[in-house]
Amino acid sequence: MDNTRNQPAARKFLSWFNPVGRQAGGWAFILNRITALGLTFYLFLHLVVLGKLAQGPNAYDDFLALAENPLIKLGELAAVAAVILHGLNGVRIILTSFGVGVTRQRQLFYGFMAVSTVIILFFVARLYLG
Amino acid sequence: MSQSTPSTYIARPRPGETTWLWLIKIVSGPLLVLLLILHLTVNHYLGSTSSGLMTYDDVVKYYQNPIIPAIEILFLITVVTHCLIGLRGIILDLNPSRPVLRLVTWILSLLGVVSVIYGIWLALTIAAIGG
Repeated sequence: MDNTRNQPAARKFLSWFNPVGRQAGGWAFILNRITALGLTFYLFLHLVVLGKLAQGPNAYDDFLALAENPLIKLGELAAVAAVILHGLNGVRIILTSFGVGVTRQRQLFYGFMAVSTVIILFFVARLYLG
Repeated sequence: MSQSTPSTYIARPRPGETTWLWLIKIVSGPLLVLLLILHLTVNHYLGSTSSGLMTYDDVVKYYQNPIIPAIEILFLITVVTHCLIGLRGIILDLNPSRPVLRLVTWILSLLGVVSVIYGIWLALTIAAIGG
């Protein structure tokens, strides 16, 4: 039962990210929420940055050179990882929403997270080892 | 959901989220997964920079196939819609009053429409560069 339902908004918002006493479902919730908020921010930043394409090759390619900066690469990796984690966690939610694996949600969550880890490692290798 | 265990939780519309909005969010999810696989592969493996990113010339060349702007515009509409319905759902969890929720819905709708118009303009502008 959600015992945060009647809490003030600020306390409720913070309680979403409280790791104490959480089981797999609670961790899935935190993960989905953090990645959702992060990806929302990234999406609009991405749209604004892509506007440099309309300013011509110099504007865009100069910006692209920044992408080789280790900090920018780390940000890019975080965005890719968030997409993969949110996407596969979302597939799990869709499956259970339509009655698939409802009694095996913990295993589904761990399975999808294992697959996510492998794909993320693949992108780590791509970004840092070329 | 925060206190539900995996074996008892079944996703459903939140209070204040219509079934249609919830269904759009759920249906746009798998479509996004497919479009993102394409997006990540193209942008991290087909570009000519050392890390596989696309340069300006790569992007312009890529957009010469008319199916590409069409796919990118579909991707844009799907991702913006999914994102803003999801954000509204998160805000719903904070139990906003009716007037606040109405204001949030208007702001997010406006943001969505502006983003999609901007994105379509950008995609068509890039497609026209090499034309």
